[in-house]
Amino acid sequence: MGKKLLIDRVGIEGIRYFDTYRKHGGYASVEKAFKMAPADIVEEIKKSGLRGRGGAGFPTGMKWSFLAKPEGVPRYLVCNADESEPGTFKDRYLMEFIPHLLIEGLVVSSFALGSNRTFIYIRGEYAWIVDILEQAIEEARQNGFLGNNILNSGFDCEIYVQRGAGAYICGEETALLESLEGKRGNPRIKPPFPAVKGLWDSPTVVNNVETLAAVVPIINMGGDAYSQIGIGKSTGTKLISACGNINRPGVYEIDMTISVEEFVYSDEYCGGIPNGKKLKACIPGGSSVPILPANLLFKTAKGEKRMMTYESLADGGFQTGSMMGSGGFIVLDEDQCVVRHTLTLARFYRHESCGQCSPCREGTGWMEKILNNIEYGRGKMNDIDLLWDIQRRIEGNTICPLGDAAAWPVAAAIRHFRDEFEWHVLNPEESQKRNYGLANYAEPREVVAS
Amino acid sequence: MPKIFIDNTSYEVKAGKNVLEACLTLGFDLPYFCWHPAMGSVGACRQCAVKVYKDENDTSGKIIMSCMEGVRDGMHLSIDDKAAKAFREQVIEWLMTNHPHDCPVCDEGGSCHLQDMTVMTGHDYRRYDYKKRTYVNQYLGPFIHHEMNRCIQCYRCVRFYKDYAGGKDLNVFAAHNHVYFGREKDGTLESPFSGNLAEVCPTGVFTDKTLRQHYTRKWDLTSAPSVCQHCSVGCNTIAGERYGGLRNIVNRYNAEVNGYFLCDRGRFGYEFVNSENRITKPQVMHQAVDENALMHHLETVLTNHSLIGIGSPRASMESNFALLDLVGKENFFCGVYNEEMMLERRITDILDSGKIPVASLKQIEDADAVVILGEDIWNTAPMMALAVRQSVMKTGGREATEKTPMPEWHELAVKELQQNTKGFMVNVTVTETSLDEIASLNINAAPDDIARLGFAIANHIHPSLELKNFEEAVLAKAKTIADELLKCSNPVIITGTSCYNDPVLRAAFDIAAALKAAGKAPAIAFVVPECNSMGLAMMRGHAFDTAVRRVNREPNVTAVILEQDLYRNLPAGIVDEFLSKCRNIIVLDSLNNATTEKAHVLIPASTFAEGDGTLISYEGRAQRYYQVYVPDNKYIRESWKWLSRMKMIISGKANGHDPHHDSVISSLETALRQFAGISAAAPSSGFSIHGEQIPREPHRYSGRTAMLANRNVSEPKPVADGDSPLSFTMEGYQGTPPSSAIPFFWKPGWNSPQAVNKYQQEIGGDLIGGNPGVRLFVKSSGNMPEFFKDYPEHFRERQNKWLLLPQSHVFGSDELSVYSAGIAGRSPEPYMGLSPVDAKMLDVTEGSQVTIKSEKEEYSFPVKIVESLRNGIVLVSKGLPGTQGMSWGNWVELAK
Ligand SMILES: Cc1cc2nc3c(=O)[nH]c(=O)nc-3n(C[C@H](O)[C@H](O)[C@H](O)COP(=O)(O)O)c2cc1C
Ligand code: SF4
Ligand code: SF4
Ligand code: SF4
Ligand code: FES
Repeated sequence: MGKKLLIDRVGIEGIRYFDTYRKHGGYASVEKAFKMAPADIVEEIKKSGLRGRGGAGFPTGMKWSFLAKPEGVPRYLVCNADESEPGTFKDRYLMEFIPHLLIEGLVVSSFALGSNRTFIYIRGEYAWIVDILEQAIEEARQNGFLGNNILNSGFDCEIYVQRGAGAYICGEETALLESLEGKRGNPRIKPPFPAVKGLWDSPTVVNNVETLAAVVPIINMGGDAYSQIGIGKSTGTKLISACGNINRPGVYEIDMTISVEEFVYSDEYCGGIPNGKKLKACIPGGSSVPILPANLLFKTAKGEKRMMTYESLADGGFQTGSMMGSGGFIVLDEDQCVVRHTLTLARFYRHESCGQCSPCREGTGWMEKILNNIEYGRGKMNDIDLLWDIQRRIEGNTICPLGDAAAWPVAAAIRHFRDEFEWHVLNPEESQKRNYGLANYAEPREVVAS
Repeated sequence: MPKIFIDNTSYEVKAGKNVLEACLTLGFDLPYFCWHPAMGSVGACRQCAVKVYKDENDTSGKIIMSCMEGVRDGMHLSIDDKAAKAFREQVIEWLMTNHPHDCPVCDEGGSCHLQDMTVMTGHDYRRYDYKKRTYVNQYLGPFIHHEMNRCIQCYRCVRFYKDYAGGKDLNVFAAHNHVYFGREKDGTLESPFSGNLAEVCPTGVFTDKTLRQHYTRKWDLTSAPSVCQHCSVGCNTIAGERYGGLRNIVNRYNAEVNGYFLCDRGRFGYEFVNSENRITKPQVMHQAVDENALMHHLETVLTNHSLIGIGSPRASMESNFALLDLVGKENFFCGVYNEEMMLERRITDILDSGKIPVASLKQIEDADAVVILGEDIWNTAPMMALAVRQSVMKTGGREATEKTPMPEWHELAVKELQQNTKGFMVNVTVTETSLDEIASLNINAAPDDIARLGFAIANHIHPSLELKNFEEAVLAKAKTIADELLKCSNPVIITGTSCYNDPVLRAAFDIAAALKAAGKAPAIAFVVPECNSMGLAMMRGHAFDTAVRRVNREPNVTAVILEQDLYRNLPAGIVDEFLSKCRNIIVLDSLNNATTEKAHVLIPASTFAEGDGTLISYEGRAQRYYQVYVPDNKYIRESWKWLSRMKMIISGKANGHDPHHDSVISSLETALRQFAGISAAAPSSGFSIHGEQIPREPHRYSGRTAMLANRNVSEPKPVADGDSPLSFTMEGYQGTPPSSAIPFFWKPGWNSPQAVNKYQQEIGGDLIGGNPGVRLFVKSSGNMPEFFKDYPEHFRERQNKWLLLPQSHVFGSDELSVYSAGIAGRSPEPYMGLSPVDAKMLDVTEGSQVTIKSEKEEYSFPVKIVESLRNGIVLVSKGLPGTQGMSWGNWVELAK
């Protein structure tokens, strides 16, 4: 059994409340951190090797050290709790069941970064979690962990929870900042980067919920000890939200030492595929990352065992690999239709495009329409090439990564499952009737050159 | 100068520009949508993609957006790269997926940037075969038509309307491929700059609604370079005609004046030309007569009487001069209210001295601080207000990017850094104005107190006098302002005649002079009421009062009144007195008004559209407007032509021919020294290139053999234009004409107004051949004290008397533009503004009728309570239809 640092205490009755949480070691990291110099906390985070859990995996310590510190200008910490990526629901679990862990992490991080006003920008649909967080914040304040002069350190900190209005794009950090400023959630063009000019023109750090929660164990155990967990640059533990055709969907904390195969089949995690079905494919890191066929999921193209780490999941690049992303692990069994699945994602990205730049705004809508036709037996053979063409031109040519996120799933689906698209075109009537049960799902496929 | 390589050829380019600007300046055709030369880059449309290479050995390169990348020395780029071209074509394909492609019924067609860019990229085959998204259009008021389906989501409209012009009621709504550009709900666009949407929008979403009512394609218009007639700014325009009616006004780029934009009064005010109210036939004693009868009658009234002329602030220099020439200098009077004329004298004296340069709009935009003293420029000189806004924003941007360097063209990034940082601008006015919201400091005060504050500021900058009886608060404010100004290097001081207060003008001068003494490079701008007020003032005619005295003294006077409604410019009592004493009244004008009603001889004058002329803007910039078309009415002629005829009648040299424009201009130059150089405002009629004239009609002009076939099946011979280098045909010189004689912007592949790129020395810079117009105040002549120093006493309320001051309105206060239905519809109801205390004292409430009594007249208006107004002042809407000239700047009585 792997190490659990974040959600190990979730089973404890009443852990949602301050007293119980405190009894079980809660807020110890605050006490410890407030005896340290802020720069030393940043140093610990650097040592820990913690990488951002929001999707991009950027080293958190490094991000923190980039924060500009001009005189007389406030600095802000913003917690990204927008979690809207299909397949990703780990932050929700954490906030819902152990909210004080996030608040604790936020207090420590705010102290480290010098943020006296810290914001949690939360996905609009997580309305009930707002209440949970606000209750936790109130409790923390009453117990002296928030407010003025926390633990007599002279440090003041307030945490505000701001609900989004339900746009996925507002999870993109600069769109989030726009939204938080009360504007339309369009991503900004960088530079300037948030670390220099973020919220209200002030230096700002935006971190994912899980990233900030991980600060707690890092301070408690020390950066070095944290960095010992995991393999290589994938240090510490990671929450994975697993869903799809598995026996045990849910949120799991893994230390990044296990293999993908173990994660899928072990009863500690996904518990295998239901009804004795075969595994067809998997999206290992949330809807934006490339889908992998079973043959490339457990083994890399080089034949090595694929591990649940940032590096291993990305092994082979987009040709034969994928990404850790935000840890949304979506499993498809042999009955699932990749075309339908891709259509669902394309619809999502079309709907969530902010509408600012042409490739994403127009390209996503077009891709959805083509996929819709193919899925419903109205497709043509050259639609597949057209689809490929469109996604290829979107990728890398947009203002923010949503364009890429919309292109990658389509690219990977065609790359690995072109025959399935062709089958839809060649069998229009059957496509209209049913979309499941395509055979030969796991044969190694020729990779479509990009 | 950085050297860059484009497709392996090296070019020198200007540092600090982005790649797109550099390429366009070099003459490459690179497509773009969201970038705008005046608004910078946001990188949204992705249309301007090129390849950039690490060095000469890099062969794969990387696609970048050329508008988002600054030029660097040694940069290797490719425009022709296959992948870059394919991507640009792809972007058009994307945009076209939802574009209705309804060019045949689209008002933009033939003048459409989207058409041009589509052709430029080569995209011609639709792979998208699905339904297109559709939208509901909105009613946006009388000026702008909305057709949202055509939108390509470049965001230019909101960027112009909100960010550039400060409008609040246009926005982007919804998301993904259903973003919507419009208002929150149907309704008139509030900004007086809304018309620019029609040019800023690269598609047919926002189009000119007035054009739509008498629609003609750009290629079918006969157009000529023109100058706006509706305020003293003198924006450059292009006026287009077909079938004998004026169809539209569009922007004519002038880097020093209006740049890429116009105000709505200037753009939509043209319809007075087509008005039912036009004077179409000569009349004698209210009876229409023919030319012979007219000439005959003129002979008697002109020769047996002593002549006086009343010059007009809205007629051309040519016409005013022809009048002066007819009646003689000593008999030339200005049709301007005395109080106003004194101010204009002061202004010309100051400008003549050459001590302080006049600020062009461009200089205002580039100023690092602005002080406005007593002029509500939003309403009296709208485009100047837009320039002030740019100064405030740009200065703020510069400040913000000092610490975090960011090129000026990088709009979003600069905005992000800038947030609410604004440049220094002080708005000292009688009452609140629309510019208040961007001012660093707003002060509302009575004119004398505005002047006092001004003198105090000057004195803080450069102590030169002893300030007595100044309140501490005023001195403190003056110090704050002075300290800020001393941090700047090229501040601009703006003032004008609206306060009817000479000390305000002197104070403005003193501030500028003090700044100069402090080593700064200040410039000054004086707003005057009408499009040629400055020209008329420079002629130094006598005051109207003298004319009144003259007719009272002398019984046998024939007055020739040039293009003006005296009842608007002057209090009715004075005009009545004057007209009743004249023996004969000859009026030349284009539209019927209260003055023309009193004419014994009424002569139809051309408007700017049917004639040539020169106007002198507030800058002292002489600018030529050219006749657009030959009206189907031989009586409609420039006043200067009629007046010259009259002169020939008197001298017995009448030969039935009109003088040519060139000769009028050269006589003006010889007769009045202050106008020397005015002929250089535009090329003379003899000008030609390779023996060819400049055609007013594009080479695609259609129907010319057919359009008049209902009258005569043979195509009429084109009318020769003896007054300008332009021809009334489609044949002629097809290259770039001299900058002041550009009848339309067109280059191969560039049909939209954005063809202006090809007429500029550098993108967003001066026109090839220099910007149109000559500035006449350049010489240092006249005597001027170093400082005026003579500050007035405090403003004191008077018992039962109020100081009468005008409130101008963008829509309504200008005489001619109000004959356009759209402008008339936006004109407010006249009102009388009172301070809350005064209203209480008079025991009146909002809406009560109150009567103003001055020496000879009485007018009544509904009351509006104006919080920001000082006690003791009454503010009355100026110039609205149905209102008359008043004793502005004088004390009046009020009665319930
Ligand atoms: C379209 C889009 C949506 C995103 N949504 C989220 C989100 O819901 N939650 C999140 O933490 N990060 C999201 N991100 C990533 C953020 O931009 C940012 O990288 C992250 O919050 C940084 O935190 P980290 O360094 O802790 O990972 C999104 C990015 C994109 C492009
Ligand atoms: S890529 Fe999509 S979501 Fe991102 S800025 Fe462009 S349109 Fe908006
Ligand atoms: S309405 Fe015109 S200017 Fe506005 S986004 Fe659409 S195409 Fe661009
Ligand atoms: S009214 Fe004045 S500001 Fe408006 S376009 Fe005409 S000259 Fe320019
Ligand atoms: S013009 Fe460069 S991205 Fe739009």
